[in-house]
Amino acid sequence: MNKQTFTAYQVTLTPIAREHQHVLRHWRNDPEIQQQMFSANYITEEQQLAWFDRINDCNTQWHWIVSYKGEFIGSTNIKAIQKGQSVVESQTLEAGLYIGDARYKGNVLAFAPTLAMYDFCFENLATKEFKALVKTTNSAAINYNQKLGYKIKAQSPDTDVCEMILTEQDYRLNTTVLKQLLSRAKKQ
Amino acid sequence: MNNNEKLINAFTTALGIEAENVTDDLTYNAIPQWDSTAHMVLIAEIENVFDVMLDTDDIIDLSSVAQAKIILQKYDVNT
Repeated sequence: MNKQTFTAYQVTLTPIAREHQHVLRHWRNDPEIQQQMFSANYITEEQQLAWFDRINDCNTQWHWIVSYKGEFIGSTNIKAIQKGQSVVESQTLEAGLYIGDARYKGNVLAFAPTLAMYDFCFENLATKEFKALVKTTNSAAINYNQKLGYKIKAQSPDTDVCEMILTEQDYRLNTTVLKQLLSRAKKQ
Repeated sequence: MNNNEKLINAFTTALGIEAENVTDDLTYNAIPQWDSTAHMVLIAEIENVFDVMLDTDDIIDLSSVAQAKIILQKYDVNT
């Protein structure tokens, strides 16, 4: 069960709880977010709560709600790739992110939750690499991942999905300046 | 060169775009040239040109040319 709350790069990641399900569902049903998901069905309140009950005690996937300046702005998650292993044990994780607050979509702040989460995983879990499956039509997500150091590993001509891989080394190499910008002290 | 011209130069240098494209309503991610990498270069260029050091909140808020002008006012730079 995810009990890890942490703050870095101006954002705080808090394990999702029942009280967050309303805002999460609202964002998840936003057509702009929905069209980039593999499952694009409208989610009812009952479905949302059933999903939460199913994953709440789960050790193969952890979900956080992201806040910036005390307001919820989006959600992140990690999932264990290796069968039978928890997120703590799995050397390969799949990560997800969406920014729900329109003010920060496409903003440089959108990197902050990912940086905070990846740092946490590389430093505290067994994580050696991240894998991402992204719709080939989702060029924003592909570009975003490439800025973090992801490399395209495979792209099937039969599907509209590409597989991307991020090693810890590539992550560290590609995010140094971004991290410096997002972790500067506030002006006194 | 006045401050407005300096700001336009900072954008053209950092983003590799023409000066006539640097209008107040130009926003981050609205053009391929202004992505996160260019944003970092832009911040460095603005800091260098105006001899200021922006804090993180301002780096996050600096999402348009118009916003850059507002933020620079906080650092006593009027464009």
